[in-house]
Amino acid sequence: MSERLFDEKTLRQLDQLSLIANRVRAGVMKGERRSVRRGTSLEFADYRNYARGDDLRRVDWNVFARLERPFIKLFEEEEDLSVHVLIDASASMDFPREGEGEAAHHKFRFAQRVGAALAYIGLANGDNVAVTALYGAGLNVTWGAHRGRGRSLALLDYIAALKPAGNLDLVAALRDYAMRFSRPGLCLFISDLLAPNGWQDGITALQGIGHEVAIIHLLSPEEIDPPLVGDLQLVDVESGATADVTIDAPMRQMYVQRLLAWRDEITAHCRKRGIHYATVETGSPWETLIMSELRRLGVLR
Amino acid sequence: MSFLAPLGLLLSLLAVPIILLYMLRLRRREVQVSSTLLWRQLLQDREANAPWQRLRRNLLLLLQLLILAALVLALARPYSEVPTLTSGRTALLIDASASMNATDVQPNRFEAARRFALEIVDTLGDDDNVAIIRVAESAEVLENYTSDRTQLRAALERMTLSKGIPDWNAALTLAAAGAQGAEKFTILLLSDGGVPANLDLTLYGEVRHVPIGSSAQNVAISALATADDPVRGAQIYARLTNYGDQAADVIFSLNLDGTLHSAAPYQIAANSYLDLTMSELPAEFRRVEAQLTRPASSTLPDHLSIDDTAYAVYAPVIAGRTVVMTKGNAFLERGLAALNAWQVYRGDPDRGLPSERYDLYVFDGWLPTTLPDSNILIVNPPPDLPPNNLYSVGGMTNQTQIIRVLPDDPRTRYLRFNDVNVRVFRQIRAEWAETLVEAAGGALVLAGEFEGRRIAILPFNLLDSDLPLKIAYPILLANLTAWYKTPRALNLEGSAQIGQTVVIQPPPEADVVRVIRPDGAATTFRADQPLLIYAETLQTGIYSVDMYSGESLFRQEFFAVNLFSESESNIVPRAVQLGSGADAAAAEAPQEIGQREFWSLLALIGLAILALEWFIYHRRLGAPRLRGAAAGKFSRTARRP
Repeated sequence: MSERLFDEKTLRQLDQLSLIANRVRAGVMKGERRSVRRGTSLEFADYRNYARGDDLRRVDWNVFARLERPFIKLFEEEEDLSVHVLIDASASMDFPREGEGEAAHHKFRFAQRVGAALAYIGLANGDNVAVTALYGAGLNVTWGAHRGRGRSLALLDYIAALKPAGNLDLVAALRDYAMRFSRPGLCLFISDLLAPNGWQDGITALQGIGHEVAIIHLLSPEEIDPPLVGDLQLVDVESGATADVTIDAPMRQMYVQRLLAWRDEITAHCRKRGIHYATVETGSPWETLIMSELRRLGVLR
Repeated sequence: MSFLAPLGLLLSLLAVPIILLYMLRLRRREVQVSSTLLWRQLLQDREANAPWQRLRRNLLLLLQLLILAALVLALARPYSEVPTLTSGRTALLIDASASMNATDVQPNRFEAARRFALEIVDTLGDDDNVAIIRVAESAEVLENYTSDRTQLRAALERMTLSKGIPDWNAALTLAAAGAQGAEKFTILLLSDGGVPANLDLTLYGEVRHVPIGSSAQNVAISALATADDPVRGAQIYARLTNYGDQAADVIFSLNLDGTLHSAAPYQIAANSYLDLTMSELPAEFRRVEAQLTRPASSTLPDHLSIDDTAYAVYAPVIAGRTVVMTKGNAFLERGLAALNAWQVYRGDPDRGLPSERYDLYVFDGWLPTTLPDSNILIVNPPPDLPPNNLYSVGGMTNQTQIIRVLPDDPRTRYLRFNDVNVRVFRQIRAEWAETLVEAAGGALVLAGEFEGRRIAILPFNLLDSDLPLKIAYPILLANLTAWYKTPRALNLEGSAQIGQTVVIQPPPEADVVRVIRPDGAATTFRADQPLLIYAETLQTGIYSVDMYSGESLFRQEFFAVNLFSESESNIVPRAVQLGSGADAAAAEAPQEIGQREFWSLLALIGLAILALEWFIYHRRLGAPRLRGAAAGKFSRTARRP
């Protein structure tokens, strides 16, 4: 993956976007985002009645002089947003492999682009960005967290160098991540969700420590309508597990139905848990995802 | 059920490679996919109806084995034993004559016979040989002794129905020839009867007769003829025969030269006939067509239609005019007058030739200064030189011993001069003439063509001989008369029967003779032979014989062809009697054992299963496509509104 992920033009387009977190989390450092907390910035927010114990320095004396009642002057708090970009780096993302499908449909490459774009938007907006490739509990590789546009080149180089490998237990990897990075923020999880042991518990762990989670679900066209026919032994590239399947027209039909049902299950789960969920075919241009799909979801502005 | 080729069953071993190939096919091809997660879920779904799925997976194998079984069974040529009429060597004689056109069995007797024959062929044993002989106006071997059912069937299919009168003698002779060297020989007649009992044949083997036909109901015109009566003019005779056993009402209509002349109803009693005579006919007509129809009220069927129409040709004899230039010779005048062909007039040599034209001039002891432009008979020529240097005159001679009569000439037919005595005669020589009767002293009767005339010379005085008293005299006159008169090209009394050959005697001036059949088809002969034989008389109707000299049609004669056969019109099914007088065995009940093969049915079943297998195979394997209907659905429907 030595080729560059983006050209200049795309980067300039990305500059105009910024990430949104509906429920803004308390930042650690002064940032460029308004916090739910009233704080110490220069921007006036509101008044409230004086209560015993309040700092007398915050009483608005001009109002006191006019009304003879003490009011406390509140100011906006501005803080940074913690952005977590999680990229599923399991072997199943390394698909379709060379010679087995169109290279343009490669899922991990697509994930790299989307992840890099989102992380770049975060950096450009002064957010605290961490990018993690999920390889498993204890094996995750994380870049950051870093702030500032100046880091963007390093970010792109880092993401471009990632390679998918190995058998990944998504739940364990996500739990591990939740434990290590406990500062809540916007968590953007890019995966194909093809995990035999599920992933829902991992996401619950992330939400448990206060993350706002968005799942970007990637599938290649070869997975949506597999160009397979005949008596086959299907080999899972990730686990090596096999399945003997005789694929004929009705079987293909059933597969498609199964796939759509699976997606509907995920959609329902996410809606219930307040998770942003976007499905993407890697055959469609990834810019569309960034420019329109995620904006529609309310993740980007 | 038994098999004719049981070795074919060995081919069922092919099932082994099929099963082996099938097992090999089940060693699945490995394909890497990103995840088997969804496929596994899918397989769990399908576990629910697993038995059906297992069957479904093996359905193609099952079908293939069924196809193999059907084809192997077909190749083994299974047969079932059925009772049949024939075994060993059989000559199958199928009557295709006129009476087989009868429609008392549907669609007609001939088709019924053909169906019967096909049935026999179908149940033919493997070692049985059958020849098919079509009996019509000629007997024809359609297929010689063979056990090849396909060929036999084809021969039966191409067999056609005729309207002729069957030649049983030839057919049975042909059939009998097959008996040589055969262990068991049968002649099987598929006929409605009508085999003449007086056939002089020795038949070997067994003769069996399958009677065909059920009814005798038929009314026919069994005769139609024209006659020329000197008093009443043209007359037409017709005989209507009812062969049925119920009285029949008919309408008899007569067409003359294509226009309806008369139509009248008649009733004919059962098994009898009615003779009709039609006179008061128009002065001139040539073609006669008579037709029998049923009145609309009649419910009686008429099973044979080809004898309901009859044809005749009216050709009156036109008498020639002759003048006898004589000073008195009763023998000549009477002799000529006795021939109906001539109207005889007498002329006086002293007053010269009469001015009107005659067809024949007879000069007795006298000659005109110039020859008339007609045929001439010269009797007792005068001693002076004849006009036009007709002949050279010699002296009188009494050497009258007859040396010879010219043989093989129509003018000397039946002519015997042995007992004729001539006292003296004049010696006459003519280059153009043939000597019909030669005496020691020279020609006694000469005849030939001179400058377009036909001239005969008797160079002696009839009174100097006893010729007029002898039988040779009328014969000679009649022969010469026939020679003088233009002969008809057709020498046919009445009408010809179907299949009869017609002899055409083209006149010398004819170059081309064309015979046109009733349906308009023409046969052209080059008239370079004295007799032309025309045999294509297989239709009833009026045939036209057109004679051409160069390009121009100079004469046209007609002849009629009719069925007119009692044995064919009488369609009552009869038993067959053969030469010995013994009846042929009736072959109603099949006695022999035949083999009916049904491999074609099995092959058909195999084909049907093959089609089914093909259908199932293609239904199961939809053509693989990368971006089908499902692609795009995945992300599109997942969008939130």
